[in-house]
Amino acid sequence: MKTQYLVTACALSALAGPVLAEGSVSVLTWEGYADPSFISTFEEQSGCSVSATYVGSNDDFAPKLMAGGGIYDLITPSIDTTKLMIDLGFVEPLDTAAITGWDGIYPKFLGQDGIQKDGAYYGMPYSWGAIAFMYRDDAFTTPPTSIADLWREDLKGKISLWDDKSAIYVAARKNGDMNIYDLSDEQIAKAQEALLEQKPLVRKYWATAGELVDLYKAGEVVISNTWAGYQSSLLAAEGVKVTEFIPTEGAEGWMDSWMVVKDTPNKECAYKFLNMQLSELGQCGVANVNGYSAANAAAAKSCMTSEQFAALHQDDPDYLDSLLIWAPLADRFETYTNAWNAVKAQ
Amino acid sequence: MAAIIELENLSKHYSSTIIGVDDVSLSVEDGEFVTLLGPSGCGKSTLLRMIGGFEAPTHGRIRLAERDVTWDPPYKRAVNMVFQDYALFPHMTVGENIAYGLKMMGMGRAEQRTAALEALTLVGLADRFDQRPNQLSGGQRQRVALARAIVRRPKVLLLDEPLSALDARLREQMQIELKHLHDKVGITFIMVTHDQTEALVMSDRVVVMEQGRIAQEGKPQDLYDHPVSPYVANFIGTTNFVPATVADATEAAATIETAAGSLQVLLDRPVAKGAEMTLGFRPEKTRALAEGEAAENALSGHVAEVIYYGLGVRVSVEIADGTRLYVDSLLADALARSTVPQVGTKMRVAVEPHNIFLFDGRVAP
Amino acid sequence: MSAAPRRNLAGALILGIPILWILVFMLLPYGIIVTYSFWIKKYPSFMPAFQLGNYVTLFTDPQYLQVMARTLKISTLVSLCSFALAYPFAYYLVFRCRSQALRTWLYMAVIAPLWVSYLLRAYVWKTILGTEGILNSFLISTGIIAEPSPVFLYNQFAMVVTLTYIFIPFMVMPIYTALEKIPRNLSEASADLGMGPWRTFLHVTLPLSMPGVAAGFTLTFCLSFGDFVAPFLVGGPDGNLVANVIATQFGAALNWPLGSALAIVMLIIVLSIVSLSDRLESRGNGGEF
Repeated sequence: MKTQYLVTACALSALAGPVLAEGSVSVLTWEGYADPSFISTFEEQSGCSVSATYVGSNDDFAPKLMAGGGIYDLITPSIDTTKLMIDLGFVEPLDTAAITGWDGIYPKFLGQDGIQKDGAYYGMPYSWGAIAFMYRDDAFTTPPTSIADLWREDLKGKISLWDDKSAIYVAARKNGDMNIYDLSDEQIAKAQEALLEQKPLVRKYWATAGELVDLYKAGEVVISNTWAGYQSSLLAAEGVKVTEFIPTEGAEGWMDSWMVVKDTPNKECAYKFLNMQLSELGQCGVANVNGYSAANAAAAKSCMTSEQFAALHQDDPDYLDSLLIWAPLADRFETYTNAWNAVKAQ
Repeated sequence: MAAIIELENLSKHYSSTIIGVDDVSLSVEDGEFVTLLGPSGCGKSTLLRMIGGFEAPTHGRIRLAERDVTWDPPYKRAVNMVFQDYALFPHMTVGENIAYGLKMMGMGRAEQRTAALEALTLVGLADRFDQRPNQLSGGQRQRVALARAIVRRPKVLLLDEPLSALDARLREQMQIELKHLHDKVGITFIMVTHDQTEALVMSDRVVVMEQGRIAQEGKPQDLYDHPVSPYVANFIGTTNFVPATVADATEAAATIETAAGSLQVLLDRPVAKGAEMTLGFRPEKTRALAEGEAAENALSGHVAEVIYYGLGVRVSVEIADGTRLYVDSLLADALARSTVPQVGTKMRVAVEPHNIFLFDGRVAP
Repeated sequence: MSAAPRRNLAGALILGIPILWILVFMLLPYGIIVTYSFWIKKYPSFMPAFQLGNYVTLFTDPQYLQVMARTLKISTLVSLCSFALAYPFAYYLVFRCRSQALRTWLYMAVIAPLWVSYLLRAYVWKTILGTEGILNSFLISTGIIAEPSPVFLYNQFAMVVTLTYIFIPFMVMPIYTALEKIPRNLSEASADLGMGPWRTFLHVTLPLSMPGVAAGFTLTFCLSFGDFVAPFLVGGPDGNLVANVIATQFGAALNWPLGSALAIVMLIIVLSIVSLSDRLESRGNGGEF
């Protein structure tokens, strides 16, 4: 009896998270995507309380949902991971009719394979950006323009690269292979070779946004790839002058979508939340907090200043078209990650 | 016989107020069994440890076989120590423990083994050669410690309270064994103890120490019969102390007044009439007087307590000033002369003049 | 009549709760990991199977052997460095430091960092070893080097330094305890038997402190063997350790079966080291001669 009581007490205390208002919604997302600056307005207006858990990488979504399924109502994986969520059966199709503003989303995003299956949408495009490159202004007299600059001997010990399978995309482009989401085994092997060749030049592979900022701040690194708009603004705030650039070999583009976790009991609040995020409140919220571009061009136009609108390339369809938007790798996924892991292992 | 150990004005002052050993000079003959006796804190162990080289003196010199070893570390002195709790190496077998001291003596392994076995045989533990110290009893460990020390044929063997960790019965047995071992190996033994019986039974010479100094040294019997101070008298055997005043004195004898009557004592030094003294005598050197029995030198008082112990009886007699005196008699004796007293009755005690020690001043402990 | 069953119940609880704990939080997870290690990776995740493919991969794909070898190397270096620093220190505290107050103070100074967050302590080394860090400013200000050197951070050296710093209390504590347990008169006895200080140390002090040394080696080795924070914070591109690879397999690669197999291999290595040191410790009273 006593034990049972104890177990109950434990279970209760574990559940005693946010106070249940009229409704609630629990999101597993990136830092900034549920920022109080706009979420508190939503909570007041909707009566839905929001609790957020943050991920550090796209790789966190699957393990978290696998381990503790049923806790989260909404997630925001990037376009290279959305397909995996669908195939794993973690998410359910969206009722696009219940989402106002759906038509304002850039057609390029609605055309992505990664967010749909069997004619149904599973993801609501939310924000986007480029995996640009970045350099420290005071370290270069001639600004770098190419990915090849990350292989320069004279920059030995001052180079950083994102610790992610995207390292393969970078190396492949350096090798002239532009079909980065559809590389053959040989192309991947070549990319792996290039990365091994680069390894002695690398100071550190960066794993989190904060880590890259620290590396620049501490003067350890002068050139790297970056989540465009994000780390550079953090560095600017610290007084470190850096410049982002899109290399001649092109940049990858990313796009994050909101997805509804399968069989969520909080569907009502979840849809209210989706609507808010696609509205001016959510679109400009994320643009202001993270410096990312908005997926709903119509909403963005009405809530942004024209300078911000331009700075975030919202008015530049060519820029968007130039980006190599991440694509699901599906069964090639393992080959890519394995190649990257082999580079790190050596 | 030549002196094997000579201590010259040896002192160990820990600070200006804490004094371990104070100006001790002592000479030990080759082959002698000398015991340093005293209560804890009297400096006897410090003295022994200085001879062993474990502590450096602050003044004085130590000579071992006519060589100055004052500043030699322990491993350069031809002396060996049996430690109080034996200090056997727990990670080695008995044989390894004993052979340990032979490693630096330029012996081959086989030789070491033979010597170790020989030493172990000497203490009667040859069959324990391959056991670990923790498989042995206290007495056996003691013997291993002895064997380990004597296997090196030291010029002097130092023993620091070697029997204190043993129980009473074993202690008595080991006293005899140690004495026999001493006779057998012919090495000089210097032992530290706080047990007067041990000292008296085993030693050729006893050095009684008091507050870092030598209070008295001599053969056991001499110390017993002629203690130079109440301290020595009290430490070796039991002594009754009675405050007294000189009533009359000649060159060789004096009449002394005490609260229990006047006594005749023999003098080895002049005393002044009216001087305050303390006299002492051994309980077993007294005689309880039967009623009406005449005696020249007698004290009187009341019986306060009667204690029977096996062979004899000890009577505690309270005299007029409240001092209690012990009077020992063999039981057969006492019964024969019907002097087994009743508590509360009057009692007279005779003491022969030559059995009385006379100390200056009122110094009774 | 009623006392006995109640006592039985109390006994069952006292024994039962820890057993249940071990069962639920230790044995069960091990069982799950072992099970996973036989499963097979298949897009989108992995599926039940019974095959040894994961283990075969671990021992044939050079990347895993490389990482395991590196992890062994790093943890051995950390243990050796900790030992080299901790032993003289503990020896000084126990045998040379005369002031009890100083001894307590120094001992606490080594142990106290354990109260500080592990992450913070590892992080601090970044600011010490960095190109614009404290070590470089010191070396430049003393004129030893002219330019800040990047050689101190983001490499295996930095990992060994950091892990040594973090785990050295686990080496000091058992050695200190072992040395303190050695009766003082044993070294006196050794000197008495003709051995100088160095030989006394080799023949008496060192062998008698071996249980502490073995415990210290086991602790520091196993702790650094399983570490994945130091590589992350101060390690360079060549700093991946087994724990990082396991984390990658469970995360980015979504290959739980392979990660589980690697975890099991690691567990076996750690357990064999623990049992080896156990045997050493129980033989710690085993003599030389």
